[in-house]
Amino acid sequence: MESTLTEEFKAKAAHICARYPRRDAALIPLLAEIQKEHGFIAEEAMDALARLLEIPYSRVKAVTTFYTMFKRAPAGRYHLQVCRNISCHMAGAPGLLESLRAKLGIKEGETTRDGLFTLSAVECLGACGSAPVMMVNEIYFENLTAGKLDAVLEDLRHNRLKDLGL
Amino acid sequence: MPTIKIDGRTIEVTKGTTLLEAAQKLGIYIPRYCYHPKLSISGNCRMCLVEIENAPKLATACSTEAAEGMSVFTGTDKVKTARRDMLEFLLINHPLDCPICDQAGECGLQDYYMKYSLQKSRFRQEEKVRRQKRRAVGPHLVLDNERCILCTRCVRFCAEVTKTSELEVMQRSDHSYIDLKEGKALDNNYSLNIADICPVGAFTSRDFRFKQRVWFLKKTSTVCLGCATGCRMTAHHNENTIYRLVPLPNSQTNTWLCDHGRMTYKAVQAGDRLSKGVIKNGLIDLEPALREAATRIDEAKSEAAVLGSPWLSVEDNAALARLAISALKTVNFCFEFSSGQGIKDGILVNEDPAPNTAGAGLLKAAHGGVSLEELSGRIASGRIKVLVTEARAAGLVKTALKTSGCRLIVFAQNRSEIPAGAYATLPYASYFETPGTFINYQGLRRRTNPAVRPADGVKPLWNVVNKLAAYSGTSLGLDSAENALKDIKL
Repeated sequence: MESTLTEEFKAKAAHICARYPRRDAALIPLLAEIQKEHGFIAEEAMDALARLLEIPYSRVKAVTTFYTMFKRAPAGRYHLQVCRNISCHMAGAPGLLESLRAKLGIKEGETTRDGLFTLSAVECLGACGSAPVMMVNEIYFENLTAGKLDAVLEDLRHNRLKDLGL
Repeated sequence: MPTIKIDGRTIEVTKGTTLLEAAQKLGIYIPRYCYHPKLSISGNCRMCLVEIENAPKLATACSTEAAEGMSVFTGTDKVKTARRDMLEFLLINHPLDCPICDQAGECGLQDYYMKYSLQKSRFRQEEKVRRQKRRAVGPHLVLDNERCILCTRCVRFCAEVTKTSELEVMQRSDHSYIDLKEGKALDNNYSLNIADICPVGAFTSRDFRFKQRVWFLKKTSTVCLGCATGCRMTAHHNENTIYRLVPLPNSQTNTWLCDHGRMTYKAVQAGDRLSKGVIKNGLIDLEPALREAATRIDEAKSEAAVLGSPWLSVEDNAALARLAISALKTVNFCFEFSSGQGIKDGILVNEDPAPNTAGAGLLKAAHGGVSLEELSGRIASGRIKVLVTEARAAGLVKTALKTSGCRLIVFAQNRSEIPAGAYATLPYASYFETPGTFINYQGLRRRTNPAVRPADGVKPLWNVVNKLAAYSGTSLGLDSAENALKDIKL
């Protein structure tokens, strides 16, 4: 169990903890750190983190499940996050979502069988000026249209967006 | 010391007193779900909203401290509307399964709805967000998340009282639910308190649910005899059957009651409850059993001994002392028990498992007698031919009895209590059936009150002792429990 957290992680954790007056305040940054490392937060990791921070497991689980941006299962290589708030909605986000659902054959929250795409509908991405917006991992695709969306999807499938870090 | 006005009535309170507490002192009830006097303030249920003069918005009475000159109103139209709206919110996703809910009759939602709302919901039944229905979450509790209003009393109880922190609110908004670690049981020896403090039917007791509708229950306040702490509690019973034990909060011993203590009523109505005597392994009517026991005592004369019991009331111990002194005329009697005393888990459970070690000590003070070591020595050396005692007290001299060939005459309530090798067993009434005085580890004197009647023929122990003495030819003249206490200063 203890081995879930590497020595390297523990060193990093000590550094992060030092920023806060209380150890348990480092919970969210450390969860983010775990997610960055493994792509998601496993039960074992929550358990190990609880012991590391000397807080109850239930607390870690409560925080992890409260924030939708913490994933508790591995996601696909590309996490497609389509904004569904008012600006994007008015600019055609429902249509984008609908076509993604049809093209990928999955619903929001699901991952394609090949493990390439995970689809999510998310709240405001803070780019209303260029709505509708989709975030893929950490890269924004703005002013989307049906055609543009298809092109992005094809590029991702053929791994042509390496320059963007995808 | 701020002075405030609540509904026009003036009260001076100590600094830090909340509006809810101040109102309570004036006898003004403010509805609440998440507030509990022994838990931290959460302020999440919003039922206790009150109006404060010159304040722009309503404030939660449970978390607002009284400040000098504050004028608070608890019954204005604004407050009433807020309460009605809060109830509508709380009931949006509530399943309304009252007919099959065991909390019905003592449910905070039902009570407040009748008192503060009586309004039709504007939300449609079909649109309710469903959550997980009942499941067992440990040896004592069932959790039905759909009925939960997320007041977090249970979460705070586990975090603050038992400090085990099993429970938390998972997820968020209308998906939130109470949960604990997968595969883990909610088992901390205080878990049933959660069923008590849960204002709705989310947490119910596995032991009690569906046994009896709560409006049929009668209540008798009594004392828990699970250990030397001697918590006050209420026995809920109906038609001569006890259904559950709940704490009777008091400042001297307890707010809560441990799971072990709550199950002590089980023995009273267990299948192996004795209503007849037992000679060796055979059941026999009480009178012949008494005659047989008396004969054995008479044979032994002054070689008979009496051992009191820290599990018996002061009255019953006094009757045993009278038996030793007046009937048996023996010097072999012991009412001295020593046990480590004090709260061992930091909450309620005492180091001393017997409820009346201090009470038995009163008999030692009044009549003397030998020490437990001395008595056990005399038994082991074969100088004692017959020992009269209570079943659990016999366990204290178990090793001495094993080798000695001493005949053991015990008083027992249940067949499972009877120590191995007992010669005769005499039944007696439990302290749920007869009053008795107990002295807890702090020296507090508390009396049990009978909640149910014993089975026909089962008498209080002092009465059985009186009969036993009569069969051996001495009249002790015990016609009441108080009578036995003649020489004892309580």
